[in-house]
Amino acid sequence: MPPSTDPFYAGLGQAIRIGTEMLAALIVGGGLGWLADTYLFPSNPWGTVVGLILGAVAGMRNAYRAAQNWPKSQ
Amino acid sequence: MDNPLHPFELHCYLDFALFGFNVCVNKAVVMMWIVVALAAGLLIAGATSRRLVPTKLQSLTELLVDFIRGIILDTMGKDGMRFFPFIATLFIFILFCNLLGLIPGSYTVTSQIVVTGVFALLVYGMSVVLGFALHGIKFLGILVPPGTPGWLLPLMMPIELISQLARPISLAVRLFANMTAGHVILGVLFGLAITGGLLIGWLPFAFTIAMNALEVGIAFIQAYIFTVLTCVYLGDAMHLHGHDASHAH
Repeated sequence: MPPSTDPFYAGLGQAIRIGTEMLAALIVGGGLGWLADTYLFPSNPWGTVVGLILGAVAGMRNAYRAAQNWPKSQ
Repeated sequence: MDNPLHPFELHCYLDFALFGFNVCVNKAVVMMWIVVALAAGLLIAGATSRRLVPTKLQSLTELLVDFIRGIILDTMGKDGMRFFPFIATLFIFILFCNLLGLIPGSYTVTSQIVVTGVFALLVYGMSVVLGFALHGIKFLGILVPPGTPGWLLPLMMPIELISQLARPISLAVRLFANMTAGHVILGVLFGLAITGGLLIGWLPFAFTIAMNALEVGIAFIQAYIFTVLTCVYLGDAMHLHGHDASHAH
């Protein structure tokens, strides 16, 4: 199987994984903040701001955690 | 020039109502049938001839099954093998969708976010249900990373919640975006090759061929990543923090 053996494709797979990991956490964080703003509390725009910051932190953390599992040999 | 997103539009071949649901048979549905028929046919044909000296098809099937088994053993450990049928089905279906979509004129089912989204929600829902079934209310401890000091809890729990909820989204978006983007690039390059004519059109045409080779690799990688992350999420639900220490690569 090419992806498991070829270092180029293995690296590409890791890169693709980390990129979306950060993006998705940002989307979720901002989305949850926006939902809280519009439907739960009259806190416009602070829910979105806090949510985006928390999302960015979570994204960084996810990317860091994914990178920790890399094989050392690469 | 044609809109490069045009090939992703779906039109119903057949449109009828069944038990109050609107059923629409379009290109993606037909392609999914073809994928299922081909994957099932090839694997059944490869698995029935159980010779000691394997035929080509049989050794290919054995390679595939052994590959998936390796993924599960690496990420979930031995007790993950009870998910083998589910994970193997997922991997083979996505792989065949990605690869068959590269044939010109066919359709890439995984370039629809509905398909990848349903897969991602299924996988994530399964991991949550499995976690609560195995650990009960203690499964909520997945929101608290081990070794967190008490005063950090109000900050860590929202962050962990967001990173948990981001899992299905990143799973769905990754597969969908990679497949769509690859095919859009192929479409744009090929459009350039056609409008460029013989004088300059050979350049984008050469790039089309190179990109197509890369896309074959991407098709494998995307199926592989989706499967690995499925195993990781299910393994997290099964082992609850014990994961990192016991299976560090």
